[in-house]
Amino acid sequence: MSDSPIVTTTELTRRFGPITALDRLTVELPSAGVIGLVGPNGSGKSTLIRILLGLIRPSGGGATVLGTSTGTPQTYASRVGVLIESPAFIPALSARTNLVSLARLRHLPLERVDAVLAQVGLAGRDREPVKRFSLGMKQRLGIAAALLSDPELLILDEPTNGLDPAGIVEIRELLRDLGRNGRTVIVSSHQLSEIEAVCDHLVVIRFGKLIFSGPMAEMMSRTREHIDIATEHAADMARLEAALVAAGWAVTAVDDVLRVAAGAARAADLNRAATAAGITLSRLVVAQDNLEEIFLEMTGRVDGELANGRAAVEGKVA
Amino acid sequence: MLGPIRSELTRLRQPRLLVIWFGLMALFALMINTIMVRFVSGGGSMPPGAPGVAFPTLADMESASGLMAGLAAASNMFGIVTLSLWAVVTAGDYGSGLIRLLVAAEPRRWRLLAGKVVALLIGTAAATTVAAIVNVVAIMPAAQAAGISTAAWGTDLVEVVGGAWLNLYLALCAWGVLGLVIATLARSAAVAIAVGVGYVLVVESMVKMLKDVPSDWLLGTTLGAVAKGGTDAVSYGTAITLAFGYVVLGLVIAGAVFVRRDVTD
Repeated sequence: MSDSPIVTTTELTRRFGPITALDRLTVELPSAGVIGLVGPNGSGKSTLIRILLGLIRPSGGGATVLGTSTGTPQTYASRVGVLIESPAFIPALSARTNLVSLARLRHLPLERVDAVLAQVGLAGRDREPVKRFSLGMKQRLGIAAALLSDPELLILDEPTNGLDPAGIVEIRELLRDLGRNGRTVIVSSHQLSEIEAVCDHLVVIRFGKLIFSGPMAEMMSRTREHIDIATEHAADMARLEAALVAAGWAVTAVDDVLRVAAGAARAADLNRAATAAGITLSRLVVAQDNLEEIFLEMTGRVDGELANGRAAVEGKVA
Repeated sequence: MLGPIRSELTRLRQPRLLVIWFGLMALFALMINTIMVRFVSGGGSMPPGAPGVAFPTLADMESASGLMAGLAAASNMFGIVTLSLWAVVTAGDYGSGLIRLLVAAEPRRWRLLAGKVVALLIGTAAATTVAAIVNVVAIMPAAQAAGISTAAWGTDLVEVVGGAWLNLYLALCAWGVLGLVIATLARSAAVAIAVGVGYVLVVESMVKMLKDVPSDWLLGTTLGAVAKGGTDAVSYGTAITLAFGYVVLGLVIAGAVFVRRDVTD
Protein backbone atom coordinates (compact mmCIF):
# COMPACT_ATOMS: atom_id res chain seq x y z
CA MET A 1 0.00 0.00 0.00
CA SER A 2 1.38 3.39 -0.99
CA ASP A 3 1.19 6.29 1.44
CA SER A 4 0.54 8.84 -1.28
CA PRO A 5 -3.14 9.45 -2.04
CA ILE A 6 -4.48 7.85 -5.19
CA VAL A 7 -6.80 10.78 -5.90
CA THR A 8 -6.54 14.35 -4.73
CA THR A 9 -8.74 17.30 -5.49
CA THR A 10 -7.89 20.89 -4.59
CA GLU A 11 -10.60 23.53 -4.65
CA LEU A 12 -12.14 21.52 -7.48
CA THR A 13 -15.06 23.39 -9.00
CA ARG A 14 -17.33 22.63 -11.91
CA ARG A 15 -20.24 24.76 -13.00
CA PHE A 16 -22.93 23.90 -15.53
CA GLY A 17 -24.48 27.26 -16.33
CA PRO A 18 -25.96 28.57 -13.08
CA ILE A 19 -25.56 25.21 -11.31
CA THR A 20 -22.41 24.56 -9.31
CA ALA A 21 -22.01 20.79 -9.40
CA LEU A 22 -18.69 20.79 -7.51
CA ASP A 23 -17.96 23.63 -5.17
CA ARG A 24 -14.27 23.99 -4.23
CA LEU A 25 -14.04 20.34 -3.29
CA THR A 26 -10.79 19.44 -1.57
CA VAL A 27 -10.26 15.82 -0.65
CA GLU A 28 -7.60 13.10 -0.63
CA LEU A 29 -8.44 9.45 -1.20
CA PRO A 30 -6.07 6.83 0.17
CA SER A 31 -4.37 4.16 -1.93
CA ALA A 32 -5.67 0.59 -1.62
CA GLY A 33 -8.93 -0.52 -0.18
CA VAL A 34 -12.50 0.15 -1.13
CA ILE A 35 -13.65 3.76 -0.98
CA GLY A 36 -17.32 4.62 -0.91
CA LEU A 37 -18.41 7.80 -2.67
CA VAL A 38 -21.89 8.72 -1.53
CA GLY A 39 -24.21 11.67 -1.70
CA PRO A 40 -27.80 12.43 -2.65
CA ASN A 41 -28.85 12.74 -6.30
CA GLY A 42 -27.25 15.82 -7.81
CA SER A 43 -24.59 16.02 -5.13
CA GLY A 44 -21.75 16.02 -7.67
CA LYS A 45 -20.57 12.38 -7.51
CA SER A 46 -20.88 11.78 -11.25
CA THR A 47 -19.28 15.12 -12.06
CA LEU A 48 -16.32 14.25 -9.84
CA ILE A 49 -15.92 10.85 -11.51
CA ARG A 50 -16.11 12.38 -14.99
CA ILE A 51 -13.43 14.93 -14.15
CA LEU A 52 -11.18 12.18 -12.78
CA LEU A 53 -11.59 10.27 -16.04
CA GLY A 54 -10.99 13.30 -18.28
CA LEU A 55 -14.52 13.23 -19.69
CA ILE A 56 -15.17 16.79 -18.56
CA ARG A 57 -12.88 19.61 -17.49
CA PRO A 58 -13.11 21.51 -14.21
CA SER A 59 -14.15 25.16 -14.12
CA GLY A 60 -11.62 25.80 -11.37
CA GLY A 61 -9.20 24.09 -9.03
CA GLY A 62 -7.48 20.87 -9.91
CA ALA A 63 -7.29 17.14 -9.35
CA THR A 64 -4.75 14.35 -9.62
CA VAL A 65 -5.20 10.66 -10.24
CA LEU A 66 -2.30 8.31 -9.45
CA GLY A 67 -0.18 11.40 -8.90
CA THR A 68 -0.89 12.91 -12.33
CA SER A 69 -3.05 15.90 -13.19
CA THR A 70 -6.44 15.18 -14.71
CA GLY A 71 -5.39 17.58 -17.47
CA THR A 72 -3.39 14.70 -18.98
CA PRO A 73 -5.60 11.64 -18.45
CA GLN A 74 -3.71 9.69 -21.13
CA THR A 75 -0.84 9.28 -18.66
CA TYR A 76 -2.94 7.22 -16.25
CA ALA A 77 -5.85 5.92 -18.36
CA SER A 78 -4.25 2.48 -18.79
CA ARG A 79 -4.05 2.11 -14.98
CA VAL A 80 -7.69 2.97 -14.37
CA GLY A 81 -10.77 0.81 -15.00
CA VAL A 82 -14.24 2.30 -15.08
CA LEU A 83 -17.90 1.47 -14.98
CA ILE A 84 -19.80 4.72 -15.42
CA GLU A 85 -23.53 4.73 -14.78
CA SER A 86 -25.13 1.92 -16.79
CA PRO A 87 -22.88 -0.52 -18.65
CA ALA A 88 -22.49 0.62 -22.27
CA PHE A 89 -22.04 -1.98 -24.97
CA ILE A 90 -23.11 -2.65 -28.54
CA PRO A 91 -26.19 -4.86 -28.09
CA ALA A 92 -25.80 -6.73 -31.37
CA LEU A 93 -22.29 -7.90 -30.56
CA SER A 94 -21.42 -10.71 -28.20
CA ALA A 95 -20.01 -10.06 -24.75
CA ARG A 96 -16.67 -11.39 -25.96
CA THR A 97 -16.57 -9.18 -29.07
CA ASN A 98 -17.44 -6.13 -27.01
CA LEU A 99 -14.57 -6.87 -24.66
CA VAL A 100 -12.21 -7.70 -27.55
CA SER A 101 -12.99 -4.28 -29.00
CA LEU A 102 -12.03 -2.61 -25.72
CA ALA A 103 -8.95 -4.81 -25.32
CA ARG A 104 -7.76 -3.79 -28.78
CA LEU A 105 -8.32 -0.13 -27.97
CA ARG A 106 -6.09 -0.52 -24.91
CA HIS A 107 -3.54 -2.72 -26.71
CA LEU A 108 -4.18 -5.58 -24.28
CA PRO A 109 -3.61 -9.29 -24.96
CA LEU A 110 -6.84 -11.11 -25.71
CA GLU A 111 -6.12 -13.56 -22.87
CA ARG A 112 -7.32 -10.77 -20.56
CA VAL A 113 -10.79 -11.12 -22.08
CA ASP A 114 -11.02 -14.76 -20.96
CA ALA A 115 -9.62 -13.87 -17.56
CA VAL A 116 -12.14 -11.14 -16.78
CA LEU A 117 -15.06 -13.12 -18.20
CA ALA A 118 -14.19 -15.91 -15.77
CA GLN A 119 -13.69 -13.42 -12.95
CA VAL A 120 -17.25 -12.08 -13.24
CA GLY A 121 -18.87 -15.44 -13.98
CA LEU A 122 -19.74 -14.88 -17.63
CA ALA A 123 -17.35 -17.38 -19.20
CA GLY A 124 -20.16 -19.65 -20.41
CA ARG A 125 -22.30 -16.90 -21.88
CA ASP A 126 -19.63 -14.88 -23.66
CA ARG A 127 -20.72 -15.78 -27.21
CA GLU A 128 -24.27 -14.49 -26.73
CA PRO A 129 -25.23 -11.05 -27.99
CA VAL A 130 -25.40 -8.51 -25.20
CA LYS A 131 -28.99 -7.67 -26.14
CA ARG A 132 -30.03 -11.04 -24.68
CA PHE A 133 -28.38 -10.27 -21.35
CA SER A 134 -30.33 -9.38 -18.23
CA LEU A 135 -29.49 -6.13 -16.48
CA GLY A 136 -27.46 -8.06 -13.93
CA MET A 137 -25.43 -9.80 -16.66
CA LYS A 138 -24.79 -6.46 -18.34
CA GLN A 139 -23.61 -5.14 -15.01
CA ARG A 140 -21.18 -8.04 -14.68
CA LEU A 141 -19.96 -7.38 -18.20
CA GLY A 142 -19.46 -3.72 -17.28
CA ILE A 143 -17.32 -4.78 -14.32
CA ALA A 144 -15.42 -7.17 -16.61
CA ALA A 145 -14.69 -4.26 -18.95
CA ALA A 146 -13.45 -2.22 -15.99
CA LEU A 147 -11.13 -5.05 -14.92
CA LEU A 148 -9.79 -5.64 -18.43
CA SER A 149 -6.57 -3.66 -18.02
CA ASP A 150 -5.92 -5.16 -14.56
CA PRO A 151 -6.03 -1.60 -13.22
CA GLU A 152 -4.56 -0.15 -10.05
CA LEU A 153 -7.62 2.05 -9.63
CA LEU A 154 -11.18 0.96 -10.32
CA ILE A 155 -13.97 3.51 -10.44
CA LEU A 156 -17.37 1.84 -10.32
CA ASP A 157 -20.63 3.73 -10.44
CA GLU A 158 -23.48 1.65 -8.95
CA PRO A 159 -21.76 -1.71 -9.55
CA THR A 160 -24.53 -3.79 -7.98
CA ASN A 161 -27.34 -2.08 -9.86
CA GLY A 162 -29.72 -4.70 -11.27
CA LEU A 163 -28.05 -7.66 -9.63
CA ASP A 164 -30.04 -10.26 -7.75
CA PRO A 165 -29.16 -10.87 -4.08
CA ALA A 166 -26.73 -13.68 -4.95
CA GLY A 167 -25.09 -11.46 -7.56
CA ILE A 168 -24.79 -8.62 -5.05
CA VAL A 169 -23.01 -10.90 -2.61
CA GLU A 170 -20.65 -12.11 -5.38
CA ILE A 171 -19.79 -8.59 -6.49
CA ARG A 172 -19.38 -7.52 -2.88
CA GLU A 173 -16.84 -10.32 -2.38
CA LEU A 174 -15.12 -9.39 -5.64
CA LEU A 175 -14.80 -5.75 -4.54
CA ARG A 176 -13.46 -6.83 -1.15
CA ASP A 177 -10.89 -9.10 -2.83
CA LEU A 178 -9.82 -6.35 -5.20
CA GLY A 179 -9.40 -3.94 -2.31
CA ARG A 180 -7.47 -6.49 -0.26
CA ASN A 181 -5.11 -7.28 -3.14
CA GLY A 182 -3.61 -3.82 -3.28
CA ARG A 183 -6.00 -2.15 -5.68
CA THR A 184 -8.04 0.91 -4.91
CA VAL A 185 -11.73 0.66 -5.72
CA ILE A 186 -13.89 3.78 -5.67
CA VAL A 187 -17.54 2.78 -5.48
CA SER A 188 -20.27 5.30 -6.03
CA SER A 189 -23.57 3.89 -4.87
CA HIS A 190 -26.98 4.74 -3.52
CA GLN A 191 -27.16 1.40 -1.73
CA LEU A 192 -25.71 2.46 1.58
CA SER A 193 -25.95 -1.02 3.03
CA GLU A 194 -23.56 -2.11 0.27
CA ILE A 195 -21.22 0.77 1.01
CA GLU A 196 -21.31 -0.06 4.70
CA ALA A 197 -20.59 -3.71 3.95
CA VAL A 198 -17.57 -3.31 1.67
CA CYS A 199 -15.94 0.08 2.12
CA ASP A 200 -12.88 0.90 4.20
CA HIS A 201 -13.07 4.62 3.57
CA LEU A 202 -16.00 6.90 2.99
CA VAL A 203 -16.45 10.21 1.17
CA VAL A 204 -19.75 12.03 1.53
CA ILE A 205 -20.54 15.02 -0.66
CA ARG A 206 -23.59 17.23 -0.81
CA PHE A 207 -24.23 20.18 -3.14
CA GLY A 208 -20.70 19.61 -4.48
CA LYS A 209 -19.14 20.19 -1.08
CA LEU A 210 -17.31 17.71 1.09
CA ILE A 211 -19.31 16.62 4.12
CA PHE A 212 -17.11 13.81 5.33
CA SER A 213 -13.97 11.97 4.28
CA GLY A 214 -12.40 9.36 6.51
CA PRO A 215 -12.27 5.72 7.50
CA MET A 216 -15.59 3.92 7.61
CA ALA A 217 -14.88 3.06 11.25
CA GLU A 218 -14.68 6.76 12.07
CA MET A 219 -18.01 7.37 10.40
CA MET A 220 -19.62 4.45 12.19
CA SER A 221 -18.26 5.71 15.51
CA ARG A 222 -20.72 8.56 15.06
CA THR A 223 -23.57 6.14 15.39
CA ARG A 224 -25.88 6.42 18.35
CA GLU A 225 -28.26 4.08 19.97
CA HIS A 226 -31.98 4.55 19.61
CA ILE A 227 -34.99 2.76 20.96
CA ASP A 228 -37.86 1.67 18.73
CA ILE A 229 -41.16 1.23 20.55
CA ALA A 230 -44.65 0.20 19.53
CA THR A 231 -47.87 0.23 21.53
CA GLU A 232 -50.18 -2.71 22.14
CA HIS A 233 -53.02 -0.81 20.46
CA ALA A 234 -52.21 1.16 17.31
CA ALA A 235 -54.61 3.90 18.37
CA ASP A 236 -52.32 4.72 21.30
CA MET A 237 -49.32 5.62 19.12
CA ALA A 238 -50.20 9.29 18.65
CA ARG A 239 -51.07 9.69 22.34
CA LEU A 240 -47.80 8.09 23.40
CA GLU A 241 -45.80 10.28 21.00
CA ALA A 242 -47.44 13.40 22.43
CA ALA A 243 -46.83 12.24 26.00
CA LEU A 244 -43.16 11.46 25.36
CA VAL A 245 -42.51 14.75 23.55
CA ALA A 246 -44.19 16.61 26.43
CA ALA A 247 -41.85 14.78 28.81
CA GLY A 248 -38.82 15.94 26.82
CA TRP A 249 -37.99 12.81 24.80
CA ALA A 250 -36.83 13.21 21.19
CA VAL A 251 -39.30 11.11 19.22
CA THR A 252 -39.71 10.42 15.50
CA ALA A 253 -42.42 8.28 13.94
CA VAL A 254 -40.74 5.77 11.62
CA ASP A 255 -43.02 3.38 9.76
CA ASP A 256 -45.05 1.57 12.46
CA VAL A 257 -42.82 2.43 15.42
CA LEU A 258 -41.77 5.47 17.42
CA ARG A 259 -38.02 5.98 17.32
CA VAL A 260 -36.70 7.56 20.51
CA ALA A 261 -33.22 9.05 20.58
CA ALA A 262 -31.94 7.31 23.67
CA GLY A 263 -29.62 4.50 24.64
CA ALA A 264 -30.18 1.21 26.42
CA ALA A 265 -29.59 2.89 29.80
CA ARG A 266 -32.85 4.79 29.44
CA ALA A 267 -35.02 1.90 28.23
CA ALA A 268 -36.54 1.37 31.66
CA ASP A 269 -37.34 5.10 32.01
CA LEU A 270 -39.03 4.99 28.64
CA ASN A 271 -41.11 1.99 29.65
CA ARG A 272 -42.13 3.74 32.89
CA ALA A 273 -43.11 6.90 30.95
CA ALA A 274 -45.38 4.85 28.73
CA THR A 275 -46.93 3.08 31.72
CA ALA A 276 -47.47 6.44 33.46
CA ALA A 277 -49.42 7.56 30.38
CA GLY A 278 -51.57 4.43 30.70
CA ILE A 279 -50.15 2.81 27.58
CA THR A 280 -48.81 -0.73 27.31
CA LEU A 281 -45.85 -1.29 25.01
CA SER A 282 -45.86 -4.33 22.74
CA ARG A 283 -42.31 -3.76 21.56
CA LEU A 284 -39.19 -2.07 22.89
CA VAL A 285 -35.98 -2.61 20.89
CA VAL A 286 -32.63 -0.95 21.49
CA ALA A 287 -30.71 -0.55 18.22
CA GLN A 288 -27.71 1.20 16.71
CA ASP A 289 -28.02 3.79 13.90
CA ASN A 290 -26.76 2.41 10.58
CA LEU A 291 -24.93 4.25 7.84
CA GLU A 292 -28.18 5.13 6.11
CA GLU A 293 -29.47 6.95 9.17
CA ILE A 294 -26.21 8.83 9.67
CA PHE A 295 -26.14 9.66 5.96
CA LEU A 296 -29.68 11.00 5.97
CA GLU A 297 -28.92 13.09 9.01
CA MET A 298 -25.85 14.54 7.29
CA THR A 299 -27.30 15.10 3.84
CA GLY A 300 -31.03 15.69 4.29
CA ARG A 301 -33.92 13.28 4.58
CA VAL A 302 -35.92 13.70 1.42
CA ASP A 303 -35.36 14.78 -2.15
CA GLY A 304 -37.62 17.81 -1.63
CA GLU A 305 -35.42 18.99 1.20
CA LEU A 306 -32.38 18.52 -1.01
CA ALA A 307 -33.99 20.36 -3.89
CA ASN A 308 -34.92 23.25 -1.63
CA GLY A 309 -31.45 23.24 -0.18
CA ARG A 310 -29.86 23.40 -3.61
CA ALA A 311 -32.19 26.20 -4.68
CA ALA A 312 -31.23 28.10 -1.56
CA VAL A 313 -27.55 27.53 -2.30
CA GLU A 314 -28.09 28.82 -5.83
CA GLY A 315 -29.86 31.88 -4.43
CA LYS A 316 -33.12 31.00 -6.14
CA VAL A 317 -35.27 31.23 -3.06
CA ALA A 318 -35.43 33.88 -0.42
CA MET B 1 -2.71 4.25 -33.61
CA LEU B 2 -3.55 0.71 -34.73
CA GLY B 3 -5.45 0.05 -31.49
CA PRO B 4 -8.31 2.49 -32.12
CA ILE B 5 -8.62 1.31 -35.74
CA ARG B 6 -8.76 -2.38 -34.82
CA SER B 7 -11.14 -1.60 -31.98
CA GLU B 8 -13.48 0.30 -34.27
CA LEU B 9 -13.31 -2.41 -36.94
CA THR B 10 -14.30 -4.96 -34.29
CA ARG B 11 -17.33 -2.87 -33.35
CA LEU B 12 -18.26 -2.46 -37.02
CA ARG B 13 -18.75 -6.22 -37.33
CA GLN B 14 -22.41 -5.96 -36.42
CA PRO B 15 -24.28 -8.34 -38.73
CA ARG B 16 -27.40 -6.20 -38.93
CA LEU B 17 -25.47 -3.02 -39.62
CA LEU B 18 -23.45 -4.64 -42.39
CA VAL B 19 -26.50 -6.32 -43.95
CA ILE B 20 -28.32 -2.96 -44.01
CA TRP B 21 -25.28 -1.08 -45.36
CA PHE B 22 -24.24 -3.54 -48.06
CA GLY B 23 -27.84 -4.54 -48.73
CA LEU B 24 -28.89 -0.96 -49.46
CA MET B 25 -25.86 -0.44 -51.71
CA ALA B 26 -26.73 -3.62 -53.62
CA LEU B 27 -30.42 -2.72 -53.78
CA PHE B 28 -29.76 0.76 -55.11
CA ALA B 29 -27.20 -0.56 -57.64
CA LEU B 30 -29.73 -3.10 -58.88
CA MET B 31 -32.58 -0.60 -58.93
CA ILE B 32 -30.70 2.20 -60.60
CA ASN B 33 -29.37 -0.03 -63.37
CA THR B 34 -32.79 -1.47 -64.11
CA ILE B 35 -34.43 1.96 -64.23
CA MET B 36 -31.52 3.66 -65.99
CA VAL B 37 -31.43 1.16 -68.84
CA ARG B 38 -35.17 1.43 -69.43
CA PHE B 39 -35.02 5.21 -69.17
CA VAL B 40 -32.11 5.61 -71.59
CA SER B 41 -33.37 3.03 -74.10
CA GLY B 42 -36.74 4.76 -74.07
CA GLY B 43 -35.14 8.04 -75.11
CA GLY B 44 -35.82 9.87 -71.85
CA SER B 45 -33.87 12.91 -70.75
CA MET B 46 -33.22 14.21 -67.26
CA PRO B 47 -35.01 17.40 -66.18
CA PRO B 48 -32.59 20.12 -65.07
CA GLY B 49 -31.84 20.08 -61.35
CA ALA B 50 -33.34 16.66 -60.81
CA PRO B 51 -32.39 15.47 -57.36
CA GLY B 52 -30.64 12.26 -56.44
CA VAL B 53 -29.80 10.66 -59.81
CA ALA B 54 -28.35 11.77 -63.15
CA PHE B 55 -28.75 9.30 -66.06
CA PRO B 56 -26.34 9.22 -69.01
CA THR B 57 -27.30 9.55 -72.68
CA LEU B 58 -27.70 6.51 -74.93
CA ALA B 59 -24.33 7.30 -76.56
CA ASP B 60 -22.64 7.36 -73.17
CA MET B 61 -24.31 4.09 -72.24
CA GLU B 62 -23.03 2.39 -75.36
CA SER B 63 -19.46 3.62 -74.82
CA ALA B 64 -16.85 1.67 -72.85
CA SER B 65 -17.71 3.56 -69.66
CA GLY B 66 -21.40 2.62 -70.01
CA LEU B 67 -20.69 -0.61 -68.13
CA MET B 68 -20.22 1.34 -64.91
CA ALA B 69 -22.59 4.22 -65.66
CA GLY B 70 -24.98 3.09 -62.94
CA LEU B 71 -22.49 3.83 -60.19
CA ALA B 72 -22.06 7.45 -61.22
CA ALA B 73 -25.78 7.87 -61.96
CA ALA B 74 -26.77 6.91 -58.44
CA SER B 75 -23.78 8.35 -56.63
CA ASN B 76 -25.91 10.71 -54.55
CA MET B 77 -28.18 7.84 -53.49
CA PHE B 78 -25.15 5.80 -52.51
CA GLY B 79 -23.92 8.95 -50.82
CA ILE B 80 -27.02 9.24 -48.67
CA VAL B 81 -26.67 5.58 -47.64
CA THR B 82 -23.03 6.16 -46.74
CA LEU B 83 -23.78 9.38 -44.88
CA SER B 84 -26.49 7.59 -42.92
CA LEU B 85 -24.31 4.63 -41.95
CA TRP B 86 -21.39 6.82 -40.88
CA ALA B 87 -23.86 8.90 -38.85
CA VAL B 88 -25.43 5.82 -37.24
CA VAL B 89 -22.04 4.43 -36.24
CA THR B 90 -20.82 7.79 -34.91
CA ALA B 91 -23.97 8.79 -33.05
CA GLY B 92 -24.46 5.23 -31.78
CA ASP B 93 -21.52 5.70 -29.43
CA TYR B 94 -23.37 8.57 -27.79
CA GLY B 95 -26.74 6.81 -27.76
CA SER B 96 -25.37 3.70 -26.05
CA GLY B 97 -23.12 5.61 -23.67
CA LEU B 98 -20.14 3.72 -25.10
CA ILE B 99 -18.42 7.04 -25.76
CA ARG B 100 -17.75 7.39 -22.00
CA LEU B 101 -15.94 4.07 -21.92
CA LEU B 102 -13.99 4.82 -25.09
CA VAL B 103 -12.82 8.26 -24.00
CA ALA B 104 -11.91 6.97 -20.54
CA ALA B 105 -9.85 4.19 -22.16
CA GLU B 106 -8.25 6.42 -24.79
CA PRO B 107 -8.30 10.05 -23.63
CA ARG B 108 -6.44 11.19 -26.76
CA ARG B 109 -9.73 11.73 -28.46
CA TRP B 110 -8.27 12.55 -31.86
CA ARG B 111 -7.02 8.95 -31.95
CA LEU B 112 -10.55 7.67 -31.39
CA LEU B 113 -11.85 9.90 -34.16
CA ALA B 114 -9.05 8.94 -36.53
CA GLY B 115 -9.63 5.25 -35.73
CA LYS B 116 -13.31 5.61 -36.50
CA VAL B 117 -12.65 7.43 -39.78
CA VAL B 118 -10.12 4.83 -40.97
CA ALA B 119 -12.42 1.93 -40.00
CA LEU B 120 -15.35 3.55 -41.78
CA LEU B 121 -13.18 4.21 -44.85
CA ILE B 122 -12.44 0.48 -44.93
CA GLY B 123 -16.16 -0.28 -44.55
CA THR B 124 -16.95 2.19 -47.31
CA ALA B 125 -14.42 0.48 -49.61
CA ALA B 126 -16.24 -2.80 -49.03
CA ALA B 127 -19.63 -1.17 -49.62
CA THR B 128 -18.37 0.44 -52.84
CA THR B 129 -17.13 -2.96 -53.99
CA VAL B 130 -20.54 -4.50 -53.30
CA ALA B 131 -22.20 -1.74 -55.36
CA ALA B 132 -19.70 -2.19 -58.20
CA ILE B 133 -20.18 -5.97 -58.34
CA VAL B 134 -23.97 -5.72 -58.29
CA ASN B 135 -23.75 -2.98 -60.93
CA VAL B 136 -21.80 -5.21 -63.31
CA VAL B 137 -24.03 -8.20 -62.64
CA ALA B 138 -27.24 -6.19 -63.09
CA ILE B 139 -26.47 -4.01 -66.08
CA MET B 140 -25.50 -6.74 -68.55
CA PRO B 141 -28.84 -8.55 -68.81
CA ALA B 142 -30.77 -5.31 -68.40
CA ALA B 143 -28.92 -3.64 -71.30
CA GLN B 144 -29.21 -6.67 -73.56
CA ALA B 145 -32.92 -6.93 -72.84
CA ALA B 146 -33.38 -3.24 -73.64
CA GLY B 147 -31.45 -3.48 -76.89
CA ILE B 148 -28.55 -1.28 -75.79
CA SER B 149 -25.29 -2.19 -77.50
CA THR B 150 -22.73 -3.60 -75.11
CA ALA B 151 -20.05 -4.18 -77.76
CA ALA B 152 -17.72 -1.51 -76.35
CA TRP B 153 -18.06 -2.55 -72.71
CA GLY B 154 -15.07 -4.86 -72.68
CA THR B 155 -12.69 -2.14 -73.83
CA ASP B 156 -10.22 -0.95 -71.18
CA LEU B 157 -12.13 -3.06 -68.68
CA VAL B 158 -9.76 -2.70 -65.74
CA GLU B 159 -9.39 1.04 -66.26
CA VAL B 160 -13.13 1.57 -66.59
CA VAL B 161 -14.12 -0.57 -63.63
CA GLY B 162 -11.23 0.59 -61.44
CA GLY B 163 -11.80 4.24 -62.34
CA ALA B 164 -15.52 4.06 -61.65
CA TRP B 165 -14.89 2.28 -58.34
CA LEU B 166 -12.28 4.81 -57.27
CA ASN B 167 -14.38 7.83 -58.24
CA LEU B 168 -17.43 6.50 -56.43
CA TYR B 169 -15.32 5.59 -53.43
CA LEU B 170 -13.83 9.08 -53.18
CA ALA B 171 -17.28 10.65 -53.43
CA LEU B 172 -18.69 8.28 -50.80
CA CYS B 173 -15.81 9.02 -48.43
CA ALA B 174 -16.74 12.69 -48.60
CA TRP B 175 -20.42 11.85 -48.02
CA GLY B 176 -19.43 9.72 -45.06
CA VAL B 177 -17.34 12.47 -43.52
CA LEU B 178 -20.35 14.77 -43.82
CA GLY B 179 -22.42 12.23 -41.88
CA LEU B 180 -19.71 11.93 -39.24
CA VAL B 181 -19.47 15.70 -38.86
CA ILE B 182 -23.23 16.22 -38.43
CA ALA B 183 -23.51 13.23 -36.07
CA THR B 184 -20.62 14.53 -33.97
CA LEU B 185 -22.23 17.95 -33.73
CA ALA B 186 -25.77 16.69 -33.13
CA ARG B 187 -24.88 13.44 -31.33
CA SER B 188 -27.89 12.02 -33.16
CA ALA B 189 -28.05 9.75 -36.21
CA ALA B 190 -31.62 10.81 -36.95
CA VAL B 191 -30.67 14.47 -37.11
CA ALA B 192 -27.63 13.71 -39.28
CA ILE B 193 -29.67 11.65 -41.74
CA ALA B 194 -32.47 14.23 -41.86
CA VAL B 195 -30.00 17.03 -42.53
CA GLY B 196 -28.16 15.02 -45.21
CA VAL B 197 -31.25 13.84 -47.07
CA GLY B 198 -32.97 17.20 -46.69
CA TYR B 199 -29.92 18.97 -48.06
CA VAL B 200 -29.57 16.80 -51.17
CA LEU B 201 -33.24 16.44 -51.99
CA VAL B 202 -34.47 19.90 -51.03
CA VAL B 203 -31.84 22.55 -50.36
CA GLU B 204 -29.43 21.79 -53.18
CA SER B 205 -32.23 21.22 -55.70
CA MET B 206 -33.79 24.57 -54.78
CA VAL B 207 -30.49 26.40 -55.08
CA LYS B 208 -29.93 24.81 -58.48
CA MET B 209 -33.24 26.27 -59.65
CA LEU B 210 -31.96 29.79 -59.01
CA LYS B 211 -30.44 30.78 -62.34
CA ASP B 212 -28.40 33.66 -60.97
CA VAL B 213 -26.73 31.65 -58.20
CA PRO B 214 -23.72 29.53 -59.17
CA SER B 215 -24.37 25.96 -58.00
CA ASP B 216 -21.38 24.06 -59.32
CA TRP B 217 -19.60 24.23 -55.96
CA LEU B 218 -22.47 22.71 -54.01
CA LEU B 219 -21.64 19.52 -52.14
CA GLY B 220 -23.96 17.16 -54.02
CA THR B 221 -22.95 18.59 -57.39
CA THR B 222 -19.28 18.42 -56.49
CA LEU B 223 -19.42 14.86 -55.25
CA GLY B 224 -21.57 13.85 -58.21
CA ALA B 225 -18.85 15.26 -60.46
CA VAL B 226 -16.20 13.29 -58.56
CA ALA B 227 -18.22 10.08 -59.01
CA LYS B 228 -18.60 10.73 -62.74
CA GLY B 229 -14.94 11.59 -63.19
CA GLY B 230 -15.86 15.19 -64.01
CA THR B 231 -18.78 16.84 -65.83
CA ASP B 232 -19.23 19.58 -68.39
CA ALA B 233 -19.83 22.06 -65.57
CA VAL B 234 -17.18 20.87 -63.12
CA SER B 235 -13.87 19.37 -64.20
CA TYR B 236 -12.55 16.31 -62.38
CA GLY B 237 -9.64 18.28 -60.95
CA THR B 238 -11.90 21.02 -59.63
CA ALA B 239 -14.34 18.50 -58.18
CA ILE B 240 -11.56 16.56 -56.43
CA THR B 241 -10.06 19.76 -55.03
CA LEU B 242 -13.42 21.00 -53.78
CA ALA B 243 -14.30 17.62 -52.29
CA PHE B 244 -10.94 17.46 -50.55
CA GLY B 245 -11.59 20.92 -49.14
CA TYR B 246 -15.01 19.83 -47.86
CA VAL B 247 -13.49 16.73 -46.23
CA VAL B 248 -10.67 18.62 -44.55
CA LEU B 249 -13.03 21.33 -43.31
CA GLY B 250 -15.46 18.71 -42.02
CA LEU B 251 -12.77 16.74 -40.21
CA VAL B 252 -11.34 19.89 -38.64
CA ILE B 253 -14.80 20.87 -37.35
CA ALA B 254 -15.60 17.34 -36.11
CA GLY B 255 -12.17 16.99 -34.53
CA ALA B 256 -12.31 20.34 -32.76
CA VAL B 257 -15.78 19.64 -31.38
CA PHE B 258 -15.02 16.06 -30.36
CA VAL B 259 -11.75 16.90 -28.65
CA ARG B 260 -12.97 19.94 -26.77
CA ARG B 261 -16.55 19.13 -25.82
CA ASP B 262 -17.51 17.55 -22.51
CA VAL B 263 -18.60 13.93 -22.64
CA THR B 264 -21.69 14.15 -20.51
CA ASP B 265 -23.95 11.62 -22.28
